[in-house]
Amino acid sequence: MSGAKEGLLPEGASYGNLVGTVADPLMRRRMGRWYWGGLALALLMSLVLAGSLAWLFIEGIGIFGNNTTIVWGFPIANYVWWVGIGNAGTLISSMLLLTRQPWRAAINRFAEAMTLFAVSIAGIFPIIHLGRPYLSYWLAPYPNTMQLWPQWRSALVWDFAAIVTYLLFSVMFFYIGLIPDLATLRDRAQSRTGRVLYGIFALGWRGSARHWARHDAVYRAMAAMAVPLVVSVHSVVGLDFAAGLMPGWQETIFPPYFVVGALFSGFAMVVVLAALMRWGFGLQSLLTMRHFEAMAKIILAASVIMGISYATEWLMSWYGGERAERSFLHHQLAGSDALLYWSMIAFNVAVPQVLWLPAARRSLPVLIGVSLLINVGMWLERILIIWDTLSHGYLPSMWRPWHTSLWDWTILAGSLGFYALLFLVFARVLPVVSMHDMGKLLHEREDAG
Amino acid sequence: MSAPPLSRRQAALALIASAASLASCDRPDEEIVPYVEQPENVVPGVPLRFATALPLDGYARGVLATVFEGRPVKLEGNPTHPASLGATDVFLEAEILSLYDPGRSRTVREGTRIASWERFLSAFLPAVRRAEARGGEGLAILTGNVTSPTLLRLIGELRGRFPALRWHGHEPVGEANSAAGTVLAFGLPLSPLPRLDRAAVVLALDADPLGPGPDAIRHGREFAERRSARRDGRGFSRLYAVEPVMSVTGAKADHRLALAPAELRDFAAAMANRLGASLDAPALTPAAARFLEAALVDLQAHPGEALVMTGEWQPPEVHALVHWINERLRSPVEFVEPFIPDAPLPLAALAEDLRGGRVETLLVLGANPAYDAPGDLGFAAALRDSRALTVHLGSWRDETGALCRWHLPESHPLEEWSDLRARDGTVSLCQPMIRPLYSTRSAAWLLGLLMGRLDDTAHGAVRATWTAQQGGDFESWWRRALHDGVVAESAAPRVSPPPARLPALPARPSIGGLTLLFRPDPTVWDGRYGNNAWLQECPKPLTRLVWGNAAHMAPGDAAERRIADGDMIRLELGGRSLELPVLLRPGTARGVVVVTLGHGRRAAGAIGDGVGADAYPLRRSESPWAVPGLVAGSLGRKAGLLREQPDQKLEGEATELFQTLTLDAFDRRRGDPPPPSARPPSLNPDVVSDTHAWGMVIDTTLCIGCNACVIACQSENNVPVVGPEQVAGGRDMHWLRIDTYDLGTPEAPSPGFQPVPCMHCEHAPCEPVCPVEASVHDAEGLNVQVYNRCIGTRFCQANCPYKVRRFNWYGYADGQEYANQGAPVLAAQRNPEVTVRARGVMEKCTYCTQRISAARRAAEKEGREIREGEVVTACQAACPSRAIVFGDLKRPDSGVSRLRQEPQHYALLGQLGTRPRTTYLAEVSNPNPALDEGGA
Repeated sequence: MSGAKEGLLPEGASYGNLVGTVADPLMRRRMGRWYWGGLALALLMSLVLAGSLAWLFIEGIGIFGNNTTIVWGFPIANYVWWVGIGNAGTLISSMLLLTRQPWRAAINRFAEAMTLFAVSIAGIFPIIHLGRPYLSYWLAPYPNTMQLWPQWRSALVWDFAAIVTYLLFSVMFFYIGLIPDLATLRDRAQSRTGRVLYGIFALGWRGSARHWARHDAVYRAMAAMAVPLVVSVHSVVGLDFAAGLMPGWQETIFPPYFVVGALFSGFAMVVVLAALMRWGFGLQSLLTMRHFEAMAKIILAASVIMGISYATEWLMSWYGGERAERSFLHHQLAGSDALLYWSMIAFNVAVPQVLWLPAARRSLPVLIGVSLLINVGMWLERILIIWDTLSHGYLPSMWRPWHTSLWDWTILAGSLGFYALLFLVFARVLPVVSMHDMGKLLHEREDAG
Repeated sequence: MSAPPLSRRQAALALIASAASLASCDRPDEEIVPYVEQPENVVPGVPLRFATALPLDGYARGVLATVFEGRPVKLEGNPTHPASLGATDVFLEAEILSLYDPGRSRTVREGTRIASWERFLSAFLPAVRRAEARGGEGLAILTGNVTSPTLLRLIGELRGRFPALRWHGHEPVGEANSAAGTVLAFGLPLSPLPRLDRAAVVLALDADPLGPGPDAIRHGREFAERRSARRDGRGFSRLYAVEPVMSVTGAKADHRLALAPAELRDFAAAMANRLGASLDAPALTPAAARFLEAALVDLQAHPGEALVMTGEWQPPEVHALVHWINERLRSPVEFVEPFIPDAPLPLAALAEDLRGGRVETLLVLGANPAYDAPGDLGFAAALRDSRALTVHLGSWRDETGALCRWHLPESHPLEEWSDLRARDGTVSLCQPMIRPLYSTRSAAWLLGLLMGRLDDTAHGAVRATWTAQQGGDFESWWRRALHDGVVAESAAPRVSPPPARLPALPARPSIGGLTLLFRPDPTVWDGRYGNNAWLQECPKPLTRLVWGNAAHMAPGDAAERRIADGDMIRLELGGRSLELPVLLRPGTARGVVVVTLGHGRRAAGAIGDGVGADAYPLRRSESPWAVPGLVAGSLGRKAGLLREQPDQKLEGEATELFQTLTLDAFDRRRGDPPPPSARPPSLNPDVVSDTHAWGMVIDTTLCIGCNACVIACQSENNVPVVGPEQVAGGRDMHWLRIDTYDLGTPEAPSPGFQPVPCMHCEHAPCEPVCPVEASVHDAEGLNVQVYNRCIGTRFCQANCPYKVRRFNWYGYADGQEYANQGAPVLAAQRNPEVTVRARGVMEKCTYCTQRISAARRAAEKEGREIREGEVVTACQAACPSRAIVFGDLKRPDSGVSRLRQEPQHYALLGQLGTRPRTTYLAEVSNPNPALDEGGA
């Protein structure tokens, strides 16, 4: 057991300096220029998002580059991508907790925050992509005078349910995991406002053995519920396409393939954010190379599964023998968007294979580079699922090229900026590493040693 | 699209004028007679239908206008009219939009200034008196082709009062070559009326009978009568086409040969020689000789049923030669005498007179020579520099109106009384459907003014014409003629021409260089429909080009000049040049460049200005259709050609989408049981209906790609125009499109037309995916879209294999209209029975559910079932060749049910299990076994 925990904690760690490492950046240190610069940039991008959305409501969704044939585009691709990012956090937290992976302790907090923010941002897109976004609440089954319910056969309704469930669950899971640390912050807060605010949210946590026992039981029970949710949310996103009739969508492999793809991009995002956190908050002692190596292995495994999924798609399109499917496959591999498709294959399948080398897994620059490429590749995968299928459907007469508009890009960039903004604020308000989980780890090490 | 700057005074006047005109939407003062019901039966919300006629190149095509409380909203063909036969073409359909065009002229203008009618009278009447004093010396009128008995009577009266009056005629397309051809052949001008319905073998020698024109509807119907492949059908005709550039006639031909004009002349000569002439005819190429041999044997095998046709763009000698050949073949061609006893003078003479200062007063009625005169006449300059009192009467202040001293707004034909003749001479009395929207006058009023009658009305003039001719009970005759839309027994008598003389063929044009050929445009004709947004956005047949024109060229010619498809090219001809995009068209003869007329308008209005390139400056008055010596070169940049579909070839398995078979194969399957419909097993319950099961069958053999259905649908269903930028983004809104696929080879393309409306699938893929149940099935099998439930997820269109749904990305009809299409006056055109869709909702073909509903209401009121044929969709009503049949599939005797039993019946993408209600009949061709190298 001790071997598994080696390298996860600083050598001379004590409870006091563990808490200090995490909590001091919040309470006692002023942020440097990089933080304020980053915050300003994120704020600016968020304003771009707000401006773009305002224009969207004024002018209508014609501002997107979509057309009669390619009726979906950036918003749906962004949505799927953000949901994918949002998939990893809860999974890391719950699955690793259930499987007793000790390295989880250092990363689960911000991975959960990442989930929360990503899913929230993802939730914007299906709404703003609607022709009449102000009527999006019609997707919800609410009692109304028209006595109309959503149409339960539609994958979009399943999707709506899955996303809302996942978001609510993620919020609760995040919050319950946060309670002991909120209490710590309450106790360490230097201002009265801090004490009051943290105190309210700490819900009177005193750290008694009873509290810990209850907390542990609830938290584990929720973790057990989280795993199927993680699987369901992206499976349902996959069904948005798989329940369709179009060549390239009508594939039973989609749900598992979407789940793996989500984990893949989610872990890649965790690597990038962990590296940033580690540098920005001086957490080198808590986020060690062992953490990164463990994540690299998961990324590698996911990339292999992605490769197999792509190959399966090709095989089934060819083997099915349907004219439109084969024509679609040809378009995908050799058509006008083939360059994008092969870039996606390179980023998602070829490049991650470098992680077979132990040296690459331990090199932060390599890992960050691979992760960024994976995130680009996964975004390409999502946009190509839409563009390739819709631009090359059953009737050649309606094959059309896709276009993008300025607003497509500003909304994508703005959503990234808003995400950064949320994260930077989070990092100043809440502990980015779970202090009590690290403490538990330390406790276990001392017990063993 | 910025509005022209207006002074405050002008703006105020325009505001008052438009306010006054909008308030005047009402029935005209004089009694007009509804087609079916009496006027006293006017019930709010229940439309009345009135018969009238609209001109194209002066010739009448009868229409029935649907009028809601004094507001015409839709035009359909008048079944009793010989030129419309109940169907329409794009021009007839779109005329309703022209009526409400916000760009129409509303006020009298002196130069650019707004003036009053009184001011015009005080300037004009002294000129009339001066002209009268000099016996009409210096007085000239310019008209388009005039067939109206009333206008001809008035012009005749004018000649009595002004003996020296010079009457000039100008039609940019016209029929000058055809008329000259009959003079050459028979010694007198005649109007030939070929009868496609009596022809078993047709050879189109650069003729486009199925293409646009005053005869298009009749030709389409007659052609279809001989091309219906049915189990119990009668003969199926065979069509050969020889032409330099692919026309819709060439597309429908069983065999087609691409020949340049010089080769075509040789082909015609060789053909005549085979029939006994001895003309100078060089040897044909082996392919052409083989084609000629086969076609000629076929023609000669069908005496009395063999027909050779040629187009207006061929020189008179070829027309004469064709008359001579037809006489040998005893072809079904009828002749009528022209309606105008002495033809007007040509436009060239007027240009000379203007330059020579011999014109003091010029009246321009219904012509736009400042735009559409051949470039070598320099007409616009002559008009501009003339010191004459020039008066333009027109519905638009067009290029000519802008150059005349006075512009007078003319009433639209739907606002005014008149009479017109069809090509066969049948007279229609035209009644107004609405009181003039603006303070406009008619041509009859203006001619009456010349006669010194200040208060002539068009109504009075038309009645005066006919009271003089009709004895007896005039009132009941008048009512009858207005009600029917045609004057009974008024067709011109058919004349038997004298024996045709063999013409001397013109010398063979020198080979070498390119020849520029002109053609009328299939959507804007000669440019007169340039400001009609429906027509500008209507995809041209074959190329599916919208919002502009292009130079058509053979790929080989282009490669030699390093011109790539879609390049901007420069055409240079005799010191004039023209820059426009090039479209490489396989099947175009080598050595020709083809440009359609009617684009590049300078003063059409907010819609038509600057759309496409104006080819008129390169035109020559002595040979208006073909000019040799053209130089073409690429400008090295791409043009943004807007096409709704690129050229697409169907090969291999993809031919399942557009199925074809030869007549032989059809005959072999004639007795077979109907083909099983593709119905893969499904977990969804079968659709059952205890009332009706609406369905549609489209016969691709009959479809001539004319787009009448497309515009009819747009007119009926308030389908908005989106404008060129949105089309470039791929966002056209047409509910019905005509997919065009090539099934031939690069050397011999063979296009096929497939109209695609909504399939109304029984297991519609759009329905289960809609999260809010906006896409649902109704009890009669219609797949309906509930607009006010739609939130715009667009999943339905994403999942539609046919991609027939259309999304309102912007408020195309709802506050974000293209250019001036949001003008209040256009709201009057909207069909009140169809919702105008808001921004952000999906829409699509409804099978004209409002018409089904109207029939259901009528049936329920009378306590009976809806009769077969009682529901006619807009596209079906428009179709000249009756390719679209709609009806109740639950009735075994209905037209659709019977067509579904035909051996060539198939469902598009039926293997997907969608069970479409719209299905197709495969295209049947009738290739000549002697030319069986793949013409099928």
